[in-house]
Amino acid sequence: MPLQGLPAKDYFNREDELSYLRRLAGLRRDILADNVLLTGSRGIGKTELLKQLHRSLFWDSQDVVPFYYSFKTAALKSATFARDYFTRFIRQYVAFVKKEPLYVNNISMPLPRLMPLISSLGLDWLIDCIDDFQENADHGDLYGQILSAISTPAAAAVRGGRPVLVMLDDFTASEDLHETKRGDAPGLTSLFEVSMNNSLCPHIITGSPSAKLEAIFSDPSLHKATERMRLSPLPEDTAYELFSSLLAKMKISCDREAASGIIRRVKGNPLYIRNLAKAAWKMKKISLGKGDLAECYSFDIIDGETAFYWSSVFGESLRDKGLRRTILGLMMHRMARGEADDQERLSKILGVRETQLATALDVLELNDIGRGFDPVVEDFVQSLYFREVEAKTDAEIRKLIEAKYEMTGDSSVFEMVIPMSEQAELVAARAIDQIGKNINLEPELMEYLQLALVESCINAMEHSGSYEKKIYLKFTTSPQRLEIAIESPGRHFTLDSLKESPTEKKLAAGQKRGWGFTLLRKIMDDVRVERIGDRTRVTLIKNIKRSEVLN
Amino acid sequence: MNATGFRVKSRLVNDVAVLYPQGYLNNLAGEGLVSECGKYTRAGVKKIIVNFRETDLINSIGISLLLHVMEQLQAAGGTLCFTEMDKVQLGIFDMLGLTKYFRFFQNENGALEFLGSGNE
Repeated sequence: MPLQGLPAKDYFNREDELSYLRRLAGLRRDILADNVLLTGSRGIGKTELLKQLHRSLFWDSQDVVPFYYSFKTAALKSATFARDYFTRFIRQYVAFVKKEPLYVNNISMPLPRLMPLISSLGLDWLIDCIDDFQENADHGDLYGQILSAISTPAAAAVRGGRPVLVMLDDFTASEDLHETKRGDAPGLTSLFEVSMNNSLCPHIITGSPSAKLEAIFSDPSLHKATERMRLSPLPEDTAYELFSSLLAKMKISCDREAASGIIRRVKGNPLYIRNLAKAAWKMKKISLGKGDLAECYSFDIIDGETAFYWSSVFGESLRDKGLRRTILGLMMHRMARGEADDQERLSKILGVRETQLATALDVLELNDIGRGFDPVVEDFVQSLYFREVEAKTDAEIRKLIEAKYEMTGDSSVFEMVIPMSEQAELVAARAIDQIGKNINLEPELMEYLQLALVESCINAMEHSGSYEKKIYLKFTTSPQRLEIAIESPGRHFTLDSLKESPTEKKLAAGQKRGWGFTLLRKIMDDVRVERIGDRTRVTLIKNIKRSEVLN
Repeated sequence: MNATGFRVKSRLVNDVAVLYPQGYLNNLAGEGLVSECGKYTRAGVKKIIVNFRETDLINSIGISLLLHVMEQLQAAGGTLCFTEMDKVQLGIFDMLGLTKYFRFFQNENGALEFLGSGNE
């Protein structure tokens, strides 16, 4: 929906594009600009740019009428599309003149109820447009209906004396416009030509995948008088600014240096950056170090918004399971070996027929997931491959993805699994004892750390209630910091649910249990509780002072 | 830490029971300690010293069971003293704000003197 974009203050680094597009109607009228084909990779912010433009014109302009339309798969039957396109335009036009967003968003209000308002605004010619459209509908003239709908913005620009800026989003879906079933009326998209040729009615057209959009615009009727605007990724500093501003809203702090790796990995893509921030929030992070960011990222790739986004893209394009497996295999092969192999050789390596391989290559090409795809898609594909082909569990996949981004350099990582059985916590305590000795921690601190670990393990055993009677431990040490992650399956709990009363109050109430988390908080510098898939993770962090290390 | 299986030894010094918990003081061990204390209190002993010199690690459940012992003894009008705790063990009680609820002594003799049974 237009007018539902990000607040303008949270919209980053597209001032130049926005400024140009705001002036597009005037430039086009003076034959200084063409229609605009807005391209860029998925998630780069094409839709958001249109929404920002719509809002800006809606509130700040008196003489350029913005019209935003997104092709929805549900409205691709041509009669439905025509009515939808037409009524949305009328509403948005009236809303603009009245400066009342209610009419934009209230799509259930029938057009006849708008008639008195239209008349009172002196837009009687708009009533004529409605009558014309209705007449076509009454006569069952499908072609007339579509043409009438598509040409209404241009007609309104002429008759209303105000240019109309048409913004068509998800335009690639227009290829699926049909009469009764898909494919029965190819070429309906070219009907936009008439409207696009009107200099009072510039069009900005966008959609994904880019390859499909480009293919539509290879039609000369659309290609002429169209210029291209390509949205680039956010530069690194702006990307970090966006990320930290999103985190700040959720009261999560982040170390810039730690974030730089992941920001580079998502290549300044605002969608991924937003999804990463949302993942941090879902994982109840309070502050993000390098390890936390790797976790948030792997969560986002496997279970988060990015996974959801790409799953839907893959779901749409790759409904055939056999083809899907071929494509996953092909992409994994490309990641490992590049694209050196020819088709014949590839089909042998992958064990698929050449025809199947050719189809797979076409699908990749057409969906922007072919050549030079981004590292996030690479990780997503890997996670899909691990799940669907290698039948790995989410926890295993998470580890594999995280392992790519683990702390490196002067840190060491130890992992162990202990059973939920009597005194198993002492085995973990032994491990931390040796780990502490490896980095020369003073014995007294070690004893406290052992106790903290023992308490966490006991807590995991008591809260779990899971059939999987295991506790997963991960120790990460560096000269400055010791981090222990204790994961247990089963029931989740949060720090809030473990709030403890003051000692006096507890004792007065005869309450003798529940000292564990008080000890953890006193011993450690930071204690975090997060939900990771079906597990609860307690992370204990100790920043090591120089005085706590033996010479 | 040198946590081993838990055992509790004890002896009677005049009218004072002295208990020596060994190893890792957790739920099972704590219950053993409670049970050992119970034997003495049922026999009319109202003064108990727990000597921690052979105790390696006390976890939070162990602490809750020590509180239980204290409560039982107080109900019977008795006194509980702790001796020979190491720095970390004392630190744990301090962290939890429990030091004011127990009597701590550096060594057993100090506790025995306090309880009026200084001469063994």
